[in-house]
Amino acid sequence: MRAPIRQWAGVRTIRKAAEETWWMELDAPGIAASAVPGQFLMAGFGLTQVGAPFLPRPFSIGWTDRSTGTVGLLIREFGGGTRRLARLRGGDQLLLLGPLGRSFQIPNGRPLVGIGGGVGLAPFLFLAAEARDSAAEVRLLYGERTADRVFDPALIAELTGVEPIVYTEDGSTGRHGLVLDGIDLSDDPVLLGCGPTPMLNALEKFARERGSDLQVSVEEHMGCGVGTCQGCVVRGADGSWLKSCTEGPVFDAGDLTWPI
Amino acid sequence: MADLTQAVFGVDWQSPVLLASGTCGYGEEYAELIPLDRLGGLVTKAVSLEPRQGNPPHRVAETPGGMINAIGLQNVGLSSFIRDKLPWLAANLSRARVLINVVGHTERDFVEVVSGLDDQPGFLGFEINVSCPNVKDGTLFGADPEALATLVAALRNETERPLVIKLTPNVPDIGLYARICEENGADGLSAINTFPGMLIDIDRRRPVIGNVSGGVSGPAILPMGVYLTWRARQATSLPIIGIGGIRSGDDALQYVLAGATLVQVGTALFVDPQVAIQVHQGIDAYCERNQVTLRQLVGALELPGDPA
Repeated sequence: MRAPIRQWAGVRTIRKAAEETWWMELDAPGIAASAVPGQFLMAGFGLTQVGAPFLPRPFSIGWTDRSTGTVGLLIREFGGGTRRLARLRGGDQLLLLGPLGRSFQIPNGRPLVGIGGGVGLAPFLFLAAEARDSAAEVRLLYGERTADRVFDPALIAELTGVEPIVYTEDGSTGRHGLVLDGIDLSDDPVLLGCGPTPMLNALEKFARERGSDLQVSVEEHMGCGVGTCQGCVVRGADGSWLKSCTEGPVFDAGDLTWPI
Repeated sequence: MADLTQAVFGVDWQSPVLLASGTCGYGEEYAELIPLDRLGGLVTKAVSLEPRQGNPPHRVAETPGGMINAIGLQNVGLSSFIRDKLPWLAANLSRARVLINVVGHTERDFVEVVSGLDDQPGFLGFEINVSCPNVKDGTLFGADPEALATLVAALRNETERPLVIKLTPNVPDIGLYARICEENGADGLSAINTFPGMLIDIDRRRPVIGNVSGGVSGPAILPMGVYLTWRARQATSLPIIGIGGIRSGDDALQYVLAGATLVQVGTALFVDPQVAIQVHQGIDAYCERNQVTLRQLVGALELPGDPA
């Protein structure tokens, strides 16, 4: 894995992708060149200001274009920090640190099912886009509570070449139900999950009961992103605390204590 | 380039800027992002006699102008530190100085860690953490004059290396504790550790931090750190390492004018790993502009009514 890069990056474009959800493309060639699906970056406003967000926020790298040096991020407004990120416009600058963390570990020759809840979709956009020019088969299952929060499927297809199977909890668009309902295990795929904790817990139970391989990308409050502050821990299978920034964010499900 | 060197704790320092304990791991984690050997030095994550698991999440959260943390001193413990962490510091840092932050539940814990490390290569001295607010009894030594006196005296018996005591701000008169450290043989003081605080998630009606409370750091505590450094300076002649909210050369210079010989940068590293070098450059620019050396600025604060 290459060393992370610290750089100021200009916002190229930002467009609304759903309710309170934005797709941002940044000019970050160094990060685009070396990032691998499942890795993340820290994005913040630097030290000349102390308003929220003061600490940088972790984001799954949602897509890269190495030829143009572009990195894409999926941003949902959760609080003051992400709201401010969502208000950025083309030409604004963000301080980035990345790529960081452990990526998805992709075995040769097996189909992959990316299972994303909410903005947990982001790493699978990157994964599917990367697989576009390879023989690897990637299927996307994507769940949201309601239709107004569903990331534009046309944009997903444009970025990745893959049509996601969309689930909403209220059935207001796509299929009615939970992403778990759509998992097809007939070709022995590797399951990859990212999303809210209840979804990951259900997914882990599903995979364990069926003996399927599962990797999950977890999210915990983060300080440094590089393993020094030990703030972002999750419980490992042996009971010890694992740092989601350096030992994750992608873990084999068997390496964690469940439910998380 | 101005003269930013210091001579303190028996050695020369190429820069007054150190990385603070708990924010730079054991050094290696930042090796690719920070030119560590151009700094004054770093203070390791706390080392305890036995490994510590630390607190449940959330361990960190943003606060206005800073952050709150309750890591719970998770660390690898003394033997693993000596085997796995110290060799990297010894092999990779030649100009930057290393202080090992030491923590314990009991006086005996502290003594065993210090004596266990004393013969090892790869570091200059100790920073004794008597002030972590995030573990049970963590402030016991730092806020108990008698316990602090016997602890410092006991540690003085164990080592001839520089012994720096990291003070808690959570006492009515920091000068009292500074004097106790001096009278019992300490070589210096670090001022200050974090302030205890709490954040509440009003939707869940629960504390945000898994440990319920935590220590508040970052720019929000800069004026308190400067004030307590100044108070400690008035109480003792021990060299002081100023800590708390530093994110620029100008911030660091406030500590220096208040009486600090060296400074530590902590939380700001999380926002921008380049900050430590920028703090050094900012101090340098000030000294150039004012045609002074750093040493001339230590404690050079002028108060209203001082003769001009």
